[in-house]
Amino acid sequence: MRLLTGAASAALCLAAPAAAQLGAATQSAPPAGVQEGHGAANPKGRYAALDALPDWGGIWFVMGGPPGAGTPQPEPKLKGEYLARREQWVADARARDGVVRRNRSNCSPPGMPRIMRLAQYPYEFIFAPGRVTVNQEAWMQTRTIWTDGREHEEDPDPSFMGDSVGRWEGDTLVVETRGISGELEIETGWPHSDQFVLTERIRLDPTNPDILINEMRMVDPEALVEPFEVTTRYRRDRYGKLYEFQCSENDRNPVNEDGETQYSQSVIPAFANLGAVSLTAVRFR
Amino acid sequence: MTRTRLFTLAALLLAPLTIPAAAHHSYAMFDMQKSVVLDASVVRFKWQNPHAFIEADVTTNAGTERWAIEMTSPNNLTQEGWRRTSLKPGDKVKIWVHPLRSGDRGGSYAGVRLPDGSTLGTVN
Repeated sequence: MRLLTGAASAALCLAAPAAAQLGAATQSAPPAGVQEGHGAANPKGRYAALDALPDWGGIWFVMGGPPGAGTPQPEPKLKGEYLARREQWVADARARDGVVRRNRSNCSPPGMPRIMRLAQYPYEFIFAPGRVTVNQEAWMQTRTIWTDGREHEEDPDPSFMGDSVGRWEGDTLVVETRGISGELEIETGWPHSDQFVLTERIRLDPTNPDILINEMRMVDPEALVEPFEVTTRYRRDRYGKLYEFQCSENDRNPVNEDGETQYSQSVIPAFANLGAVSLTAVRFR
Repeated sequence: MTRTRLFTLAALLLAPLTIPAAAHHSYAMFDMQKSVVLDASVVRFKWQNPHAFIEADVTTNAGTERWAIEMTSPNNLTQEGWRRTSLKPGDKVKIWVHPLRSGDRGGSYAGVRLPDGSTLGTVN
């Protein structure tokens, strides 16, 4: 017993320096492209300039509804192993009558770019000096778009949101996002690589200020034959608010003994023959 | 867990992940071409993301069946006039659903006629 106590004390002593370091204030350097004392980290005195930006107040819902009759929906043109993965996904879905297995939790968010195109959960855009924050009701995700002149991180950790750097061109927010995890998808069943880059041009519709237009352009030298372009529109609910989203409190997905979610992704236009509620981005070749 | 129950759960998950931009209820498990109306007694109404849902006892010729009906998000439902208090256990309502294609007792919500006769969503 004494021996154990001694060992524990020794372990504590050893651990102490590390703990002290964790508790110390970290002093990060300004990001590349931002001078000391400037940028998003130094907002004071720079709020008045935000008034020059367009009015994106309220919350925004992706505009749904069927596409116009006969309007072909754009599809990513995949190549190589990514095309093969797509074809396998389609085959799996067919074999399971439209249901495909999914090996991560359905409480795991979709990440970029799909999370900018979810029909059910609205968004809000918060302007602050040097940054635009996109709050997403879905999974209560937060996306930061840096507008303080910084450069992309040289080697960003792959992430769900990626590394978004933007600039205002007049009333259009132009954003480039890199560093999106290659584990994520362009759309359900449409894989991409870790070289995926998304450019967004976001602005109010000149003919209707209650509509926000996001022109998205995706390139991926490993996965895409050619850039994939798609436009997402959002409608404004001026006084709406985002609702809380605690997925684990209302997750009704069956999980097997290995912790794998059993079923998901049941988007199958080819089976559903949906007519008026036709699907857009996901369809069989 | 019986097979039926598993399927019902599977149908209910319909992660928001699965929803492409322009589609609200395009869930392959549901027959979106078809609407059925249920004479239902509400057992439970869950008002929470990712999806609200209704559990209800449905009267049929064969007796009573327990149905699970998935809805869209509370924020979307709010836009349609729904509130957390729109349903409570014991309410006798008519619910229009797009049924599961598997034939199991579940569906995707389309509309409801509330006890006071008012309606929400698509009833026809």
